[in-house]
Amino acid sequence: MALAGGLAASWTIPARAQAVPVIGYLGSESPQRYASRLSAFREGLAQTGYVEGRNVSIEFRWAEGLYGQLPALARDLAGRQVAVMVAPGGAEVALAAKAATTTIPIVFEMGGDPIALGVVDSLSRPGGNLTGVSSLSVEVSRKRLEFMREVRPGTKTFAVAINPASPTSGSQLKNLQAAADSLGLNLVVLKASTEEEFDAMFAAVREQGAAGLVFSSDPYFAYRSQLLAELAVRHGVPAMTQSRDFPMAGGLMSYGGDFHQSHRQTGMYAGRILKGEKPSDLPVQRVTKVELFINMKAARPLGISFPSSLLGSADRILE
Amino acid sequence: MSRRPTVANPRTSLFRRYFLILFGAVVTPLLIAGGSEAWFGYRDQRARLNDLLDAEARLASVKIEDFVEGIRDQLSWTVQLPWSETPGDRRRVEALRLLRQVPAVESLSLVDGQGRERLFVSRIGLNRIDSREDHSAKPAVLGARSDRVWFGPVTFIADSEPFITVAIAGNRAVDGVAVAQVNLKFIWEVISAIRVGQTGEAFVLDQPGRLVAHPDISLVLRADQAAQRPLQALRAAILARPGQAAAGQDIRGNTVMAAMAPIPGLDWSVIVKQPLAEAFGPIYAALWRTGILLVAGTVLAAGLAYWLAQRMVGPIRVLEEGVARIGAGQFDHRITIKTGDEFERLANRFNEMAVELSVSQERSERISRLKRFLAPPVAELIERTGDDGVLDGRRVEVVVVFCDLRGFTGFSSRAEPETIIGVLREYYDVLEKVISDHGATLINYSGDGVMALLNAPVACSDPALRAVNMATAMQEGVQKLINGWRTVEDGLGFGVGLAMGPATVGRIGSEGHLHYTAIGNVVNLASRLCSSAEDSQILLDRIAADAVRSQVPLAELEPRALKGFDQPIPVFAAVTGPAGRPARWERSGRRPSYF
Repeated sequence: MALAGGLAASWTIPARAQAVPVIGYLGSESPQRYASRLSAFREGLAQTGYVEGRNVSIEFRWAEGLYGQLPALARDLAGRQVAVMVAPGGAEVALAAKAATTTIPIVFEMGGDPIALGVVDSLSRPGGNLTGVSSLSVEVSRKRLEFMREVRPGTKTFAVAINPASPTSGSQLKNLQAAADSLGLNLVVLKASTEEEFDAMFAAVREQGAAGLVFSSDPYFAYRSQLLAELAVRHGVPAMTQSRDFPMAGGLMSYGGDFHQSHRQTGMYAGRILKGEKPSDLPVQRVTKVELFINMKAARPLGISFPSSLLGSADRILE
Repeated sequence: MSRRPTVANPRTSLFRRYFLILFGAVVTPLLIAGGSEAWFGYRDQRARLNDLLDAEARLASVKIEDFVEGIRDQLSWTVQLPWSETPGDRRRVEALRLLRQVPAVESLSLVDGQGRERLFVSRIGLNRIDSREDHSAKPAVLGARSDRVWFGPVTFIADSEPFITVAIAGNRAVDGVAVAQVNLKFIWEVISAIRVGQTGEAFVLDQPGRLVAHPDISLVLRADQAAQRPLQALRAAILARPGQAAAGQDIRGNTVMAAMAPIPGLDWSVIVKQPLAEAFGPIYAALWRTGILLVAGTVLAAGLAYWLAQRMVGPIRVLEEGVARIGAGQFDHRITIKTGDEFERLANRFNEMAVELSVSQERSERISRLKRFLAPPVAELIERTGDDGVLDGRRVEVVVVFCDLRGFTGFSSRAEPETIIGVLREYYDVLEKVISDHGATLINYSGDGVMALLNAPVACSDPALRAVNMATAMQEGVQKLINGWRTVEDGLGFGVGLAMGPATVGRIGSEGHLHYTAIGNVVNLASRLCSSAEDSQILLDRIAADAVRSQVPLAELEPRALKGFDQPIPVFAAVTGPAGRPARWERSGRRPSYF
C-alpha cells in the first residue's frame, strides 16, 4: 500500500506540475492595500480546494492607484491566456477586465450594481464570460447619511464626498440627494479623485459648515481608509465611509458590505471556474451582510455621543 | 493361478458420488441460508434506508422550520404592545435590534391597529418613522390579522435572490402587525449544514416547485425553472409513493434516493437526497459480503467434500486393490487400513479371509496332487477330513501289484507314434478304472508298466484277495484290448505280478514332485514276479498266496530264481476261470483238484 501510494504520488506530481492553472489577478491598488482582501480571496479559493503555489498559481497585476492603467493591465493578463481573470475592487476593475477579453472567464467584485454599470445583463444568468459578487456598498450610501444625521441630530447640513472618476459617482450622488431630500437635509457635495485633494476636502467640511462628512462608496476612498482616518482626526470632522478599515484606523463610523465575505466569494467562484464551471452558470451573488462599525474613541474628541438605536444596531463597537 | 479377475468398470466412481453428496449436503443449506440472508438483508436494508432518509428529511424539515420559527419568534416581540398615537423611540430601538439579531430580515415594517405603517427599518433603504401610510389592504396585513401568522409567496428579487414576506399579528388588534422581508439566502447556512450520510444533501422546494434552498446557493440564485425540473420530478416521484424513498435524478443528473418532509405552514417541501451508490452502499456491501462468504463457503465445502470423499474412498481403493491382489492369488498380501472404523474391520476381515484362502488353497493343491495317485474315494476322504496324515511315512503290510505289456517294446519301435499313444490311452483307461474300482492306489506309470498298492495309504479288508481280484479284472480288460489290437499287432501280451509284505509307504520326493510310494522288498518282489509272468498270467508270492488260498484257486509253480533274490522264490499263479474270472472255491471249501 505504501509503495502504491508512493507510486501514485510520484506519478501525479509531475502531471499536476504541468497542469497548474494560472489565475490572473487584477488589482487597482498595491498588494499592501489589498492584503486583507487577498487573504479573504485565498480563503475562498482554499474552500474549493485551491492553494496558491500548490495547485494554482496567481499572476498579479497592480495599478497602484492609477486606475487609468487598469485596461492595459487587463489586456496583459488576457494576453497571457490565464485560466480565469479575477477583477476585484470596484467597477473600474471589472469594466477593464470585461473590455480586455470576451473568452477568458472573469470574476469581479464590486460595490455597485453590476446591471446598472453594464457589466452583466442579469444577476441570475449573467451570460457571457463574467460573473462575480456585489457587495451592496453603493446601494447603502444613503444609509450612511441617515446614520450621520442620527449622530448629529439637530443639524441640517452634511457634506458628501464624491470621486468624479468613479463610474458610480453619478448614480450615488443622485441617490444621496434623494435621501437628503426625504430626510430634509442639505448636502454639500465635495469632490476628490486623488489623494492630494483629500486635505482640502476635509478643510471644506468645516468651511461649508457641514456637521459631518459622508463618503460615497468608492474603492479609491475605501483603499485609503488609513489616510482618510488620519485626516478626519486632524480636521476634527465626523466622517463615515463604506469600509470598516476607516473606524479601525481612527475614523468615526463605517457602513458597507462585508468585503471579507465578498472577496471570499470571489475566491470561491474563481475556484469553481477552475474546476470547469462556466461563469454563465454562476449567478452574480450579492453579499448578505452590511456591517456598521462604530469607533467610540473617535467620538469623544468630536463631542459625539451615539444614540442607543445606533449602538444597538452596530455590528462592532470599537472602544 | 494367474487368472486376473475381470471387473466391469463402474458407471460412476464412488469418489464422485461421495464428493457430490457431501458437497451438496454442505452447499445446499449454505446457499439457501446465504440466499435468504441476502434477500432478507436487502429488504431490511431497503427498509432501513427508507427510515433513514425519512428521518433525515424530517430532521431537515425541523431545522428549516426552526429557522423560520426563530424569525417568527423574534418578530412576535415587536407586536406585544398596543400602539399609541405618540411615536416613541423604544420600538425603533427594538426594530433595529431585531435587524441586528436576525440577519435574514432585510427590512421590517410595523403596522398599527388601524393598518397604518408606523415604522419601517431596512438594511439597505432609508428608514421611515411614522409615515402612517395605509397598509391595511396589503395581503400580509390581512393574512396576519386573520391567521396571526402569514407567509407570503417566495419572490426572487432581481430574478435571483429568494425572499419571503413574513407577517405576524399581535394578540390583540391594537398591537398591530409586523411585516418582515426575509432573505432566504440565509437558509443556506442551515441547509448546507445538513449532511445525509457522506455526500447526501437536502434542498427545499416551495409549493410551485421552485428551488428555495440548496447547499449550492448558485442553483437557487440562478432561479432557473427548467434546470430545476428534475427536482420537481423527484418530488412528484416521492409524492406518488408516500413513505417510500424514491429514486430519481438530481440537477446534475446523478441518480439519487430521496425522501421528503413538508414544512407545515409554509407549504414547502424539504427533500433529502443521497447518491444511489452511497445509499445502496451498505446493501451492496452486505450483498458482496454474503457473496464472498458464499463463494468461500462453497470452496470450503468443495475442499471438505473432496477431503471427506477421499477419506472414505481411500480405504475403499486400498481394499479394492488388496482384494484384487488376493483374488489374483497373492494370499500373503495384507490390506493395511488404520482408520479405526468399519473400514479397518473390513480390511481385517479380508486379511483373515486371505489367510484362510491361502490355507485352503494349499490344501486343495495338496489334494489335487493326491488325487493323481490316490483312489478317488481316498482322495475324497482326505479332502473331506482335511487330514492327510494317512500319507505320512510308516511301515505297513501292503500288497504291491505290477503289470505290464509283453512285446510292447517291439511294437513301439515299429508302430506309428499315434498308434502307440492310442493303444496306451486305451490301456491306461482300462487299468485306471480297474484300479479305482478296487480301491487300490495307483503309484506310477512307467511306459507300459503300472504299479498299484493296496492297504495303503488307506487300510482295507482282505487286501490280498482284492489284489487278486483286481489283477484278474486287469487281465480280463487288457486281454480284451489285446484281442482288439491283433489286427495291428500280433505279439502283445499282458502279465501281472503281486506280492504281499511289509513296506515303507509315504510321500517321497521334492516339494514339486511329490509322490506316494512304497519302498521295500515286497515291491521288488512284485516287480520281479510281474516280469516273470507270462501273457495272461497272474503271479503271487507266498504270503499273498497264503492270504488268498482259501478263496482263490491257485497253482503252485516251480520256485524261481529272481533277480535280486538269493534263494529261488516260491511262485503261485492265480487260476482264472473260463469267463476270465478267478475260480472260487465252493462254500464247502473244496480245493481245486490240480492243487
